[in-house]
Amino acid sequence: MMNTSKQRVLTALMNILLLIYAVFALFPLLWMVMISFKADTEVFTTTFIFNPTLANYKEVLFRSNYARYIIDSLIVSGGAVLVSVVVGVPAAYALARYNFPRKEELAFQILSFKFAPEILVVLPLFMLYQKMGLYDSYIGLIWVYQLISLPLLIWVVRGYFEDISVEIEYAAQVDGYPWYQIFFKMLIPLIKPGLVSSALLAFIFAWNSFTFPLILASSKVYPVTVAITKYLGTDTARYGNLAVAATVSALPAIIFALFIQKHLVRGLSFGAVKG
Amino acid sequence: MAGLTLEHLFKRYDNSGKKKKTVNDYAVNDLNLKCEQGEFVAFLGPSGCGKTTTLRMIAGLEEITHGNIYIDDCLINNLQPKDRKIGLAFEDYAMYPPLDVYGNVAFNLRAKGVDKAEIDRRVREIAPLMQIEDLLEKMPVKLSGGQKQRVNIARAIIREPEILLMDEPLSHLDGKSRQAMRIEIKRLINKIKCTTVYVTHDQLEAMSLADRIAIINFGVLQQFGTPTEVYDDPANEFVASFIGEPPMNILETKIIKRNGVFFFSFENSNLEITVPQRYYSVIHDGFSCKVGVRPMDVMIGGEDSKGTSEQIATFENLGDERRIGIHVGNDLLMLITEDEKRYKSGDIIKLEVRGEKTHLFDIATGARIREKP
Amino acid sequence: MARIKFENVKKTFGKVYALDGISFEIHDNEFFVLFGPAGAGKTTILNCVAGILIPDEGTISFNDQLMNLVDPARRNVAMVFENYALYPNMTVYDNMASPLRSKLYKTDENTIKEKVNGAAKMMKMENLLERLPSQLSNGQKQRVAMGRALVRDPNVFLMDEPLAHLDAKLRNAMRTELKEMQASLGSTCIYVTHDFMEAMALGDRIAIINKGKIIQVGSGDEIYYMPTNEFVASLMGEPQINIIPSTIKAEGNKYDLCFDVLGKEISMEMPVDEKVMAKIDELDLRCADIGIRPQHIQYSFEKIEGYFKATVYSYESIGNKSVIIADCGDYQIRMIAPNGLRVQIDSDIYISPEVEKSIVFDSGSKKYIVRYDEETVKAFATKQEVR
Repeated sequence: MMNTSKQRVLTALMNILLLIYAVFALFPLLWMVMISFKADTEVFTTTFIFNPTLANYKEVLFRSNYARYIIDSLIVSGGAVLVSVVVGVPAAYALARYNFPRKEELAFQILSFKFAPEILVVLPLFMLYQKMGLYDSYIGLIWVYQLISLPLLIWVVRGYFEDISVEIEYAAQVDGYPWYQIFFKMLIPLIKPGLVSSALLAFIFAWNSFTFPLILASSKVYPVTVAITKYLGTDTARYGNLAVAATVSALPAIIFALFIQKHLVRGLSFGAVKG
Repeated sequence: MAGLTLEHLFKRYDNSGKKKKTVNDYAVNDLNLKCEQGEFVAFLGPSGCGKTTTLRMIAGLEEITHGNIYIDDCLINNLQPKDRKIGLAFEDYAMYPPLDVYGNVAFNLRAKGVDKAEIDRRVREIAPLMQIEDLLEKMPVKLSGGQKQRVNIARAIIREPEILLMDEPLSHLDGKSRQAMRIEIKRLINKIKCTTVYVTHDQLEAMSLADRIAIINFGVLQQFGTPTEVYDDPANEFVASFIGEPPMNILETKIIKRNGVFFFSFENSNLEITVPQRYYSVIHDGFSCKVGVRPMDVMIGGEDSKGTSEQIATFENLGDERRIGIHVGNDLLMLITEDEKRYKSGDIIKLEVRGEKTHLFDIATGARIREKP
Repeated sequence: MARIKFENVKKTFGKVYALDGISFEIHDNEFFVLFGPAGAGKTTILNCVAGILIPDEGTISFNDQLMNLVDPARRNVAMVFENYALYPNMTVYDNMASPLRSKLYKTDENTIKEKVNGAAKMMKMENLLERLPSQLSNGQKQRVAMGRALVRDPNVFLMDEPLAHLDAKLRNAMRTELKEMQASLGSTCIYVTHDFMEAMALGDRIAIINKGKIIQVGSGDEIYYMPTNEFVASLMGEPQINIIPSTIKAEGNKYDLCFDVLGKEISMEMPVDEKVMAKIDELDLRCADIGIRPQHIQYSFEKIEGYFKATVYSYESIGNKSVIIADCGDYQIRMIAPNGLRVQIDSDIYISPEVEKSIVFDSGSKKYIVRYDEETVKAFATKQEVR
């Protein structure tokens, strides 16, 4: 605080380091976008100078089934998040308000679902799904996606519920409001930031999931993450098309993330800090 | 221990993200103070008045916009906090969680490289002063608020500082603990006799602990005096109403003359109080000002009292004393009495005021109007 | 308005008895104070009256109607919570209007406007109506919380330490304001506090509660002058009452009080009071705890005949007066002194307690035995109960 020139040198140094990191992190993405505009012959060139073409885009978006893959992704990810919200919000409320034996163990167990790598559980699930007839079905994927979307949602929303002093509910009761009005008209608006940001984050994770749809679904349910592998042809890899498929599939996640980035940090950490 | 001098001290925050209401944007505005060696000085004022900012400038945690700070005769403006020979005991304990109490108290000395035997000697010397001898092995999480505070202060004084700085150290404690800690701090200061600057917004703390109190409002020093001085001889309306609980009654009044005698008269009330002789030289008929009198200097008059009759608005029986409120226009005049008689709202009593304990204040500036000697 | 009756109410949380057999009756339109230290069970009682908690045993009735299983919404109570419980996403106006907008108490918007504005005027906060709770100071939040209760016309007002989080100045001012408003409340009121000044100033009757049990119920004066035991005596009064452990030596008509001060045995003659002497004889009292309030202790810094010597432990201002605490060995004596005295810590001080104003407690059970002037005080204290 006393030596401002020293501060300035340090700040400049930090900025340079951050810039280097940004380039390092973003470069592959940039390259991928560039490839999507390159003709097959130019794919392997390493310079930034090339003749951009829209042929790849035309081929992937209009002449293949790409739209269907996107819709499948939407159905499965969106459906999963919807189920998570309907199930998760009451669960979060219960964890926040009620005291029952082994409550914290249960809460941690729910969170732990997120820790397990998908590949670990997917094989036993494959056998189960086959037997239950859930293989290659929307319901099957939506259900298994709960492992991805539910823990985060419950954990964040629970923090928000804990931050609302229980006396507000008492006050509403004393004022004459029935429980459903208290829940929907008073509590839900107060947890909205946490709910929205964790739901969107859950959507992004669900959208990006690869292992589950790969193993637990085949031709009927075909999310875009698995669909991209189709462009790895049996004899050649059509890199241009591959790049288009990847770029377009990343768009929803990027758009959402940009949209909520302001709320993301606040929403995710606000509930967690106890004063 | 050393004396502390603040000379024309100013502080302005460049990014006014702070929601302070400051005069001309200055958090501290031309502060001048001189504390003697060994003196206990309190910085007293409402939240946001600049007292903590001033303390932080003395500590070296805030940059000084203008002005100078001297410890004894040494200018310390550009010294790092660690070179200023100060001890800090701040509001939020900030104990190092992984260290036990002994480790916390010894931390600074270990950092300076003082030898182990010397550290041990000093810790064991200080521990009984703050009554923490049996806490030395404990971890910070297991301590109560009051215990943490004592460790905090021990940690500050073990450095044998020239000046001890304390920022609202008791604000997190509840009423009874606060009272008990106040007594302990007083006994401690009495023993070690270190120059101390103590920031608080609680006038009771300041009045009971300090040798002299610096009352600050909006960054400006209002008065710097002993507890008796600020209580009996306030410099302005702000000081008068800030010091003392319950606060001084300050009422707008117009002076009228009747048969050669001056009276304080009040709007929308038939209350009249005789003006003491000593004010005659500074007032005239029709003079508007504010008059202040403490609740303990307002009394219930006896049968043959010449005071005016007033209706009681509120009567509170508090066991040890009784407090009576009387409407004077839009204000409530409070009086305190140990009289055993119980009244109720609506009863009529006669009011008398100890004239020698009244104060006059300018109606516009709030400055004290003193009688001419 | 309602009469409220608790009969042997018990409530446990896990293994802890929050309420251990509470019985009392509150009169219609009475301002009833629940007073006791933190954790005593006061808020639990309030929550039981409101219906937020259901007692494990015992009955709660309003006007002789059993209320145990009735929803909070249907009990028609208005509550002011300790941390205000304002709805964070509604303006002050909407907060105060909310009870009138619920299904049960549905009122039209015009009446709502009238009532909200009326309550706002009473709480002196008309200019805050458009603000959000996050934009209010503690004192302002407290007014909104009270305003929200005042728009109702409930059976009973419940107030849970409404002044707890305000600084001393504001607390004193609000207490006086509350006193002024009392008459216009027009309903039974149960008020919880741990501050004895609030209890004494506001309560028609006070119930002292500790560890889930009611210790004493009475008017402020009854409790102040004739506390049921030492615990109650120490709760009322600032600074705390002095308890001096002593022995009584009776010789014919002379009764001497003997106690230890810094290792020295001091003996004082007890002034004659028929009732006190009779009680001592009746119970053959050899030892007792003598309770004397700080304002009934005489002191001097110069030696005076009949005064005993102690050491000054501290000199503290408590507002409009100061307290000198003297160290007497196993106990301390507190006395009232004016502000601005020059007192040297650890210096000598000479003390003479006014035994003729004291209360006698049993040294074993700590219960009240008798006090000086008992008859006069009794008549005086009970006269005040008529409101």
